[in-house]
Amino acid sequence: MKKKIVSVLLCMAMITTATVGCGKKESNDSAAGGETIKLKVWAAEEDQDLTKELISKFEEENKDQKFDITVGVESESTAKDTILVDPEAAADVFAFASDQITDLVNANVLQEVQDKDTVTNGNVEGSVEAATVDGTLYAYPFAADNGYFLYYDKNVVSDEDAKSWDSILADCEAAGKKAGMVFASGWYAAGFFYGAGFTTELNDDGSTTMDWNKTSSTGIKGTDVAQGMIDIAQNPAFLPITDGDSTNQIATGSLGAVVSGTWDSTAVQEAFGDGYAATVLPTFTCGGQQIQQGSAAGYKMMGVNANSKQVGWAMELAKYLTNEESQKTRFEKREIGPSNIKVSESDEVKNNIALAAVTAQNDKAGVVQMVGSNYWDPAKSFGEIMAQGNPDNEDLQSLLDNLVEAASQASN
Amino acid sequence: MNNVKKKKNPMTAFFEAIGRFIKEFGQAVKDGDSGVKASLLLMGAGYWKRGQKLKGVLVTLLEIAVILYNVFIGFPYIGKLGHLGTVQQEMIYNPTTMKNEVNNYDNSLLCLLFGVISLVFLIVAVALWMVNIRTTYKLQKRAEAGKHINTFKEDCRELLNDKFHFTLLSLPVLGIIIFNVLPLIVMICVAFTNYDQNHMPPAKLFTWVGLANFKSLFTTSMTVTFGYTFRRILVWTLIWAVFATVTTYVGGILLSLLINSKLTRFKKMWRTLFVTSIAVPQFVTLLLIRNFFASNGIVNTFLAHAGITGFLKHLGWISTNYVPFLTNPTWAKVTIIMINIWVGVPYLMLIATGVLMNIPEELKESARIDGANKFQIFKSITMPYMLFITGPYLVTQFTANINNFNVIYLLTQDVYTTTNQKLAASQGKEIDLLVTWLYRLTSEQYNYKMAAVIGICVFIVCAIITLFAFNFLIKGDKEDTFK
Repeated sequence: MKKKIVSVLLCMAMITTATVGCGKKESNDSAAGGETIKLKVWAAEEDQDLTKELISKFEEENKDQKFDITVGVESESTAKDTILVDPEAAADVFAFASDQITDLVNANVLQEVQDKDTVTNGNVEGSVEAATVDGTLYAYPFAADNGYFLYYDKNVVSDEDAKSWDSILADCEAAGKKAGMVFASGWYAAGFFYGAGFTTELNDDGSTTMDWNKTSSTGIKGTDVAQGMIDIAQNPAFLPITDGDSTNQIATGSLGAVVSGTWDSTAVQEAFGDGYAATVLPTFTCGGQQIQQGSAAGYKMMGVNANSKQVGWAMELAKYLTNEESQKTRFEKREIGPSNIKVSESDEVKNNIALAAVTAQNDKAGVVQMVGSNYWDPAKSFGEIMAQGNPDNEDLQSLLDNLVEAASQASN
Repeated sequence: MNNVKKKKNPMTAFFEAIGRFIKEFGQAVKDGDSGVKASLLLMGAGYWKRGQKLKGVLVTLLEIAVILYNVFIGFPYIGKLGHLGTVQQEMIYNPTTMKNEVNNYDNSLLCLLFGVISLVFLIVAVALWMVNIRTTYKLQKRAEAGKHINTFKEDCRELLNDKFHFTLLSLPVLGIIIFNVLPLIVMICVAFTNYDQNHMPPAKLFTWVGLANFKSLFTTSMTVTFGYTFRRILVWTLIWAVFATVTTYVGGILLSLLINSKLTRFKKMWRTLFVTSIAVPQFVTLLLIRNFFASNGIVNTFLAHAGITGFLKHLGWISTNYVPFLTNPTWAKVTIIMINIWVGVPYLMLIATGVLMNIPEELKESARIDGANKFQIFKSITMPYMLFITGPYLVTQFTANINNFNVIYLLTQDVYTTTNQKLAASQGKEIDLLVTWLYRLTSEQYNYKMAAVIGICVFIVCAIITLFAFNFLIKGDKEDTFK
């Protein structure tokens, strides 16, 4: 009987702590103006010092206001995963890659940009488009280099030959080298289809509408594109790279050309030495004609958490971190390709080989990729089948039909 | 017959206990005096009547606290449990305050969480209330019989002496209820909701959908290949668990026999060498091995230069320019089982060494005198003895392998890409175990509802196998064989 009292008392203690605990949680959004503004910023590991420097400049410019801004580490590529676990505990301002924007908007995490004109007028069109969902601008672009293009070794592949896959592969074979690209990825593989005029569209229910199993607006059949990919993959001079493994493969020194992005520029420079060159993606043979290979143009942007207690100041900070001057600093310190029009037109940026290539690729055949969460795994699987040269000799049409069908499932 | 009775016993005993409790409560209400009856409303009344003032006050305070909690927090949340919230979050930016104005929205997850907690508290509170009546009735009986009634001090002292086990157990039990049982109930509940990427709190609401998720798990249609994927992965999970358990078990025993053999020299050195592989953290080993066996990794480079890759291609075993150790479904399955042997055998070797040393030497001696050869001794004495001793370990190892996340995930993540489009449509891979699939569904797809469903299925599979195996392997009668 008495033991019950003890357990009863403990229960009571638990109940009171539980209730008191949540009672407090609900009452802490009554912060008044004038006090210290607490903000949390998430930036990539490599950008920590830079971000801190920019933040201290921001604090200097707003001397009237007291700030307490902390910087946490979160890669742009995984920001969404961390935020969606608990949006209310996430940072107030965070950097993320443009392909995550739809999921973030659907989860009501992104605060609508108030000072629309500054962002729209200052940044390149593609980046603004990538930051816009259903006509509403949700983020502040700061980098336009998140795309892939062709690196080649001038000693292996001549400038002229770098214009088509056929000649690149022939040159590489002649030199005993290989040309590498990631096929097994919904991001890279889509480039072939975008180049041929195919599209992907994201619907409200999270499903993806694709026309890859049909004929594109430019009159090219999807099966021909798939066959073109298989033809490249079956060339003995082609090396299919696993997604995320490109830096390792470049470092082996066995490559004469590789499709990758600015993140690999240092590795490529070391591997190719004086032959280091970069340009737009080549053309590929597709149903007897040469088609320019497209790409999924990616951007990086700053988002403001709508659940932030200091949304206004968070927006000011995000705007500052992505303005012309900050982008210039970012390029100077980290060689990050700016999305700001003025900075990207500066001579320094234009002379950077990799950045010039990504800009040219974005302008020529870059597409802002809009797909749902059910697109990635099926597209990766399709790319892997292409990379292996369709080992089971399956009907290309049915492979494409399966891909389109899987991607057209509503998310979950 | 005996078996059936055994399994039924705890259940019937449980319900009998509940029946008895309710009967006692009914009797207390019926036969209780004014104090007991007053306790129905004011919980301390029964104690006050018997002079236990402090106890009465404490119990009454608790009653008030519980009532207040339920009126202000409990009942509103329990009310919301039916629909898990109706008001969706809306926020409008106010430029003058520079802040977002948020409406008073419902967070479905918190509704579910606090709803379940409140419901459990309510049930506990009612049970305590019933216990209280019974206790006061017992006090009344004692008073009527003229027995001594404890003072508060005596009550407290009793908790440290006669009833010390209650004092000791109350905290762990509470911990288990709050940290294990409650979250478990919430997670099981999630399986019956539509909590996924499109219904993520706080921005969106989710609600009950009944058995729809379980239905979709077992349906295979062209658009939803979930059922197909689930079956494929379940079959591989079971195959894997059998192979992983048996190979490491047999391998461990053989290795320890080899090391313990009279012909082996430097026994301690060999044993130490194998144990060192335990000292290296498993994930380090696995990640390194993954890189060794990658399509463009060291092993493949070596094989290509040695001409073995070309030979295998010539034989028609592989169609790629590399050996697809971790990229082809069949190759990957074999590779994973092989690597698991490497990782798992040292543990078994240690256990087996211990057990082998304990086999009564007379047993073997007499067998040898009777003319049994070494294989016969192994078959009829060593192996049965091993199986008897390590039976429980084998069963736990089997269930652990069903949930062996490390080996599969670390070896194949970012490396293995499925070419089965049906599996890809449901984010599955040929080499996925139910747990790794579950992990990717929750961490990459935010498909909490299906993850909960799979979790329940994994539990059912494990529970059936464990119950069956324990009953089969460790029946009491086997013990006699060794006596």
